[in-house]
Amino acid sequence: MDEEPERAKRWEGGYERTWEVLKEDESGSLKATVEDILFQAKRKRVFEGHGQVRLGMMRHLFVIIDSSRSMEDQDLKPNRLTSTLKLMEFFVEEYFDQNPISQIGIITTKNKRAEKLTDLAGNPKKHLAALKKVVDSTCVGEPSLYNSLNCVALPSGTEIKEILVIFSSLTTCDPANIYELIKTLNALKIRVSVIGLSAEVRVCTILTRETGGSYNVILDESHFKELLMLHVKPPPASSSSECSLIRMGFPQHVIASMSDQDAKPSFSMSHLDSTGEPGLTLGGYYCPQCRAKYTELPVECKVCGLTLVSAPHLARSFHHLFPLEAFQETPLEEYEGERFCEACQGELKDKSVFTCLACKKVFCVECDLFIHDTLHCCPGCMQTDRTS
Amino acid sequence: MASDDEINILVIVLDVNPIWWGQQAQREPQFTLSTCLDSLMVMANAHLVMSRTNKLAVIANLYQKSHFLYPKEIRNLMDRTEVNGSQTDSLLAVSLAKALCYIHRVSKDVQAGQDMKSRILVIKAAEDSTLQYMNFMNVTFAAQKKNILIDACVLDTDSGLLQQACDITGGLYLRIPQKIALTQYLLWVFLPDTDQRSQLLLPPPVHVDYRAACFCHRNLIEIGYVCSVCLSIFCNFSPICTTCETAFKMPLPQMAKTKKKKVKTAN
Repeated sequence: MDEEPERAKRWEGGYERTWEVLKEDESGSLKATVEDILFQAKRKRVFEGHGQVRLGMMRHLFVIIDSSRSMEDQDLKPNRLTSTLKLMEFFVEEYFDQNPISQIGIITTKNKRAEKLTDLAGNPKKHLAALKKVVDSTCVGEPSLYNSLNCVALPSGTEIKEILVIFSSLTTCDPANIYELIKTLNALKIRVSVIGLSAEVRVCTILTRETGGSYNVILDESHFKELLMLHVKPPPASSSSECSLIRMGFPQHVIASMSDQDAKPSFSMSHLDSTGEPGLTLGGYYCPQCRAKYTELPVECKVCGLTLVSAPHLARSFHHLFPLEAFQETPLEEYEGERFCEACQGELKDKSVFTCLACKKVFCVECDLFIHDTLHCCPGCMQTDRTS
Repeated sequence: MASDDEINILVIVLDVNPIWWGQQAQREPQFTLSTCLDSLMVMANAHLVMSRTNKLAVIANLYQKSHFLYPKEIRNLMDRTEVNGSQTDSLLAVSLAKALCYIHRVSKDVQAGQDMKSRILVIKAAEDSTLQYMNFMNVTFAAQKKNILIDACVLDTDSGLLQQACDITGGLYLRIPQKIALTQYLLWVFLPDTDQRSQLLLPPPVHVDYRAACFCHRNLIEIGYVCSVCLSIFCNFSPICTTCETAFKMPLPQMAKTKKKKVKTAN
């Protein structure tokens, strides 16, 4: 038996006095405290630090979702499977937002077998559509950790290979020795992380410890979301080593209509392996190096190996490089001046107003959240400076 | 007809660059800013008539500044702003950002159970300014995330930025061949909302050039090198990235191996 690091279990710690957080005011109502907590929660998201940004990581991540009988448990509303799938949709969108040239594949496991739901792909739409379909499937049987790890087919030349397992059952049914498989994964430098939904399982602990991943068990749904979001950022260990210039192609989109004489319908290279109907399309994207045709971007050309992306795809992540400074918060009483928000023209009636330090315009709390979360540029600053 | 559960909000962004409109009045006296505003009023009223729950906002864009014309009181902005003779281009990103914030605020006030669909119609007169690329793309992606369509009605020169914005968000881009017929184009193409557009025969989509421009020369390239840290695009391989100043590892030359072989056979 190998040595395990000493860790204090939760029942060994001291008492937590959670009732001391809430305070009553004179009339005995908790409303002010609750509003305060909600307001702080809203503001917390904006203050997450802009650490060292590494956008160009080409990560290849496989997500293995447990679909066994334990996923029908209703401790996460409405049941574990639906809750997991909804969080997975959010995770996929955030993942592609932070890692624009990375790829994800999804595998489900149930009934002692594993099935590939989507192949490794860089376009979020396919994954989202596939996730929506899984909601209707039934959860039967036991999961198989060995089979699902075997199902993972990661290209050998890539630098960052990760697997994330969402494991809810307490058992796994493996046809062979899983410790041998762990050694193989280690040799291939694949990092496996697990998020447990029920309790800590020893084989998962060993799996994550040997491969250098993380293992966490959720407390409730918001904790589940937090743990998932931890995997959106690239893993810290490899971030220092990989800085290179990646050769990429920017194909032109050819739109041909039926009336065009020269337009010939052709197959797309991405449909070669698919089992659906063959798609003959008139227009598409042609690889600048080998002229192979593809219907959607981003994709890695199967013929010549060139990564194909479109320019807005990269531009989508530029806001990480030029992050917007947080606005200064001042209470409403101290603010003199016209009481209307520069961005939405609404009246300022929240507890505090937010001032942009660069252009000195004021905004309401909703516009502040919107500007920092979605827009990433200040409307006041856009009016004054002439540079992009 | 839309039911009471659906709110359609239309925000019109009008480019009022005085130099362009002044030159336009000299070129074609039949079509001036006031005739354009008349056409817009027809379309705005038509939109409000289509359903009881439709909402409207109008923003005027003057160089870099933008003003809400409706639903606040009309301001005489032409009289108040000084005319600076050199600015012949207009930066639309500001008005689009304000339009998005306004739509966001209205969507918060919507009651539960009501759907809200929004779109922004941009009437563009003067040329594009290249300085606003970053802001414009940020606004476009924000609109796409919120499912807000950006339609563009271009009076004069084609605008690459607006073409990309319309393509990314799923809106319509149209360059009007005859400006006097502005009302017809507005009512035919831009008045119907998304559900109705699938049933109409509308102008075909334009070919959008999505090639990237390299950061060193601003040429459009088909194959380039991308820095893995900051995603800046270069046309040639260089040892240091100019934006984030990371040194790249050079690919090892293959020549060393063959040289060794030659030496061995010689011996």
